[in-house]
Amino acid sequence: MITGMDRLTAAIRGEEADRIPIFCNLLDQGAAELGVSLQDYYARGESVAEGQLRMLRKYGHDNVWSLFYVGKEAELLGCQRILYSAEGPPNVEDFVIHSWDDIARLEVPADIPSHPAFTEVGKCLQILKNEVGGKNPICAYITSTMTLPALLMGMEKWMELLFAGPPGPCEELLRKCHEFFVKEVAAYRQGGADVLIYSNPFGSADTVPMKYFLQRSLPWIEKDIQAVGAGGMVYYCGMARLNSVLSAVIERTGIGACYLSPLDDLAVGKRLIGDRGLTCGVINDIQLISWTRQEIRQEVKRILDVGMPGGRFLFGTGVMPLMIPEASIRAMLEAAFEYGSQGGKGA
Amino acid sequence: MLARIIADYNEAVFDTDRERALQIVRDAERQGISPEDLVFKVVLPAMDAMVNALSDQFSVNLAQHFMTAQISDAVTAEMIPKFHQAPEVAGRVVIGTAYGDMHTLGKRMVIGCLRARMVEVTDLGVNVAAERFVEEALAHDARVIAISALMLHTATGELGCRKVRRLLHERGLEDRIKIMVGGAPFRFHDGLYRIVGADAWAPDAISAGKAMAELLQEVKK
Ligand code: B12
Repeated sequence: MITGMDRLTAAIRGEEADRIPIFCNLLDQGAAELGVSLQDYYARGESVAEGQLRMLRKYGHDNVWSLFYVGKEAELLGCQRILYSAEGPPNVEDFVIHSWDDIARLEVPADIPSHPAFTEVGKCLQILKNEVGGKNPICAYITSTMTLPALLMGMEKWMELLFAGPPGPCEELLRKCHEFFVKEVAAYRQGGADVLIYSNPFGSADTVPMKYFLQRSLPWIEKDIQAVGAGGMVYYCGMARLNSVLSAVIERTGIGACYLSPLDDLAVGKRLIGDRGLTCGVINDIQLISWTRQEIRQEVKRILDVGMPGGRFLFGTGVMPLMIPEASIRAMLEAAFEYGSQGGKGA
Repeated sequence: MLARIIADYNEAVFDTDRERALQIVRDAERQGISPEDLVFKVVLPAMDAMVNALSDQFSVNLAQHFMTAQISDAVTAEMIPKFHQAPEVAGRVVIGTAYGDMHTLGKRMVIGCLRARMVEVTDLGVNVAAERFVEEALAHDARVIAISALMLHTATGELGCRKVRRLLHERGLEDRIKIMVGGAPFRFHDGLYRIVGADAWAPDAISAGKAMAELLQEVKK
């Protein structure tokens, strides 16, 4: 039987499978499926793995996630307080870096796999690997060097340090974040993750001016990717747009996949990426909370009509908000299965 | 001379160079340009130029936005005490991030832009409960409650803006106090502000200044 991994591999090679690969990123939804609170759910790697497997069986998309929530990375770097909510993802409540002096004190863990904040993630990865490894792409989420400080000190302080602060602490922080990045990628790969979402809102011209992107962001992107290799890496800007930077990123790093923003013009993105890599066309999943079934089908069709010609295309979502009705998730996926079907083997 | 100053200032702002922008303003003041002219003929028009650039689909990025808000706020704060006559306050507003939301950048930028437009703003901080929004609005005699939310669940949750609306309704305050919202989810979803019961929204901090001035005019009537 054709698997999610077969579909992904075919798309990367520019071949056809029974249909295009479909990534549906359901994280918080796993808790509801298991009937536990989000806080209890994320406290155990077994629950998260079980949630992911149930999502897969329930909806039939192609990928699973080892990401609990993005704040996990801050926990690995010393964050002690996470704010839970019944309605949405957990958030960093207390920053690791309060003042520039804290940067010197920031400690990158010597070994991530044995770090207490990674224990449950490790368990989750282990289960996913045993259950669906090689059959369904196992995704990991890794924040880039340039963006990680936003999670450690808040966007506000990071923007200030980056654009108007002293260069010393800024460089030191970036150096430490890079060191962490390299170790984190190794930990996830070792744990069995195949697809690594390289999340870099600071590598989008929505966030920084183009001149600045070329001078500061791009060299860090190069450094990150060179240090870990481009295998399995997907360029993603946290749903900020990336069309204007993706050529530079592909040329300078050899990254083979770009996960566009729903605000990017997909036709332009697809043309720019061309045969150089996999184009991931992404639906605006925040609109999914109120779109009708018909509107959802239309939008999926629009995306696939633009993205599929020429192959090398994947349909994806952002981090799906918890309040999207189940029927809308199904409507979206049904449409993607239907319009995304191809003539390849297994059809 | 003013034309030159405006051009230099705009360039500094678009280059996200805060120090240079402040220097240009200080030099101009030393050359005899009045503090009033610096605020009303240099700083505010630069903000308006950015609003126009935004609506013309020019790409104005977050860094430029952030610096514009900061620079405008800093310059006005420095110039207002030097005005010959205290400027007319455009209105009073309380602002905070929604219940459950710890993200401050959007709020800070909005505050900067509002202050530059002579709006008196009280910052209630982060993770603000609906009851507190209403109480503080009354205590400060504010005409608008401004709520910033970065996530969908804090933008649309029962304890956020929806509850503020309910409280205003229950207490018969809806004519006196309006609600304005903003933050990433509102940018990704058309008409979301209405769904959560707000009166107005703005897609970015600079437009928020303009939209707020309009909303304040409306409540004054
Ligand atoms: C940078 C970014 C990150 C960074 C930094 C986050 C941080 N610490 O601030 C990282 C990569 C770490 C990150 C992580 C997460 N993120 Co994030 N992130 C973004 C991104 C790309 C930009 C957000 C930002 O800071 N913009 C800058 C600020 C200033 O913009 P803003 O808040 O929109 O404010 C402007 C306007 O909206 C307006 N405004 C703001 N407030 C107000 C108020 C009023 C009254 C008015 C009038 C106007 C106004 O003016 C501001 C200036 O122009 C957005 C996507 C996007 N393109 O917007 C996603 C986004 C905000 N993230 C999102 C999510 C879900 C998350 C996570 C919760 C994911 C997870 N499951 O863990 C985590 C949370 C991490 C945490 N805090 O613990 C979602 C939120 C929507 C949702 N689904 O709920 C978004 C929208 C992406 C998406 N489309 O899915 N993220």
